[in-house]
Amino acid sequence: MIARIAYAFREMWASFRRNLTLTAAAILTSAIALLLVGTTLLIQRAFENLLVQWKGDVAMIVFVRSDASPEQIALIDESIRSAPTIINVDKLEYLDKAQTYEEAKRIFVGDPVTLSLLTPENIPSEFKVVPITQDPALVRSLSEQYRSLPGVEDVALAEDEFQVISTLSKFVRTVTLVMSLVLLMVAVGLIWNTIRTAMFARRREIEVMKLVGATNWFIRIPFMLEGLLQGLIGAVVSCGGLWVLNSAWTNGVAGFKPGTGISSLVVPSGYLSGVMFVILMIGALAGAIGSAIAASRFLDV
Amino acid sequence: MIRLENVTKRYGSETVAVRDASFDVAKGDFVFLVGPSGSGKSTILRLINRQERPERGDVWVAGQNVNDLPDSRVPFLRRNMGNVFQDYKLLTGKTVFENIAFALEVIGKPRHVIARQVPIVLDLVGLAGKEDRFPNQLSGGEQQRVSIARAFVNRPLILLADEPTGNLDPATGEGIMSLLDEINQTGTTVVMATHDHRVVNAMRRRVIQMDRGVIVRDQERGVYE
Repeated sequence: MIARIAYAFREMWASFRRNLTLTAAAILTSAIALLLVGTTLLIQRAFENLLVQWKGDVAMIVFVRSDASPEQIALIDESIRSAPTIINVDKLEYLDKAQTYEEAKRIFVGDPVTLSLLTPENIPSEFKVVPITQDPALVRSLSEQYRSLPGVEDVALAEDEFQVISTLSKFVRTVTLVMSLVLLMVAVGLIWNTIRTAMFARRREIEVMKLVGATNWFIRIPFMLEGLLQGLIGAVVSCGGLWVLNSAWTNGVAGFKPGTGISSLVVPSGYLSGVMFVILMIGALAGAIGSAIAASRFLDV
Repeated sequence: MIRLENVTKRYGSETVAVRDASFDVAKGDFVFLVGPSGSGKSTILRLINRQERPERGDVWVAGQNVNDLPDSRVPFLRRNMGNVFQDYKLLTGKTVFENIAFALEVIGKPRHVIARQVPIVLDLVGLAGKEDRFPNQLSGGEQQRVSIARAFVNRPLILLADEPTGNLDPATGEGIMSLLDEINQTGTTVVMATHDHRVVNAMRRRVIQMDRGVIVRDQERGVYE
């Protein structure tokens, strides 16, 4: 058994070094494809920071002053519920100061200056309003009404804040997703071609192996390991690239004026490690798929 | 040991390589398959080691119907057979020792078995002392001896030889034939395809003659004609 495993790794390594140019091309392509996959995931997450408070079709947020009395809050609640033809009252949600503070931590993740000014005591609480109507003008006219209620600090409309970012985020996501999928297919194709070439270069050996009774798996496994290794190395390279990109971006936006929103476009480091893990898995999988196709189709000598 | 029952094999829809061939080879036999190029000798060998499957009829090897064998069992069938070719099929990047060891390595034999078996078989084929040479440093006859050593190192039940003397001068060919004879004396069944009159006439073994895919003669202690 040990002899077989040692054989598989020795053959994999020998073949790996023999085809250095093709191998390098396959690795680089998978690295770039995976870098794009990772960037897509990071951009998505960063945008979510800005969009988190508008999740679930929320179209309007009524911010309540932190010093508002319970009676004032009850009055606001009542006023919002008095328009059931425009507003989905079942989905009306009130976030108290502690819950709003939790949300703010996410929104201002890249803006510690603003965040440090907020405490669970001085932060406004908020009502999240989901409309029933399709007409944004009705929602807007309601917002004017609420703005004048006692205890209301401000009313924010998704139309003003959210739409642009949401559209931008969807666009970026679609473009990067399509590009990374195409590149990923190219990477699988290149790995397939590298393994095919490696098998062709060793066709005499494979012929002899088949004649003396080596099993197909015994012949295949070194090649599959080689493809897996190529995908995995590509993934490691792209993880490095992703780390560099992310650090540069995080440092870059930290210099932006607080409160502009741009500085929220960062991801927590735990999320980055998660993305890297996913990329390593995708890389190994892409390599295994490419080489498995090659190994099964080119084994007949 | 080997039995063909009414075997027909066609390549494409027109070319008939073997037509309705039947014969029996007992354990320990030495059989020549003779006939001109394209008469179906090589196809018979390829049917025996399951590189080809017959269109009709059955091929039996060591009590097993080779046609019924699932692909995953074919490697284990082939471990009972050695193959020798006109062009040796040696791996040029490996030494004599490594070429022979390769046959054991790829069927998962442990290193100590390889280290013991390879020198024994090298000695048998008369190449002791040349284990570190590469194939291109050897004469044709020596290369064929390496290929016979590789075919025999796993002590197969059957040795299939396809024109083993085809690239060799008569004297060297004789040496190869006496080596095959020696291997046959150990109880290994030998089937050899050839169109070399001299070796057939010198050996006086069973001769199966083929012509355009049909067996036209099956004779004990025969000659080439």
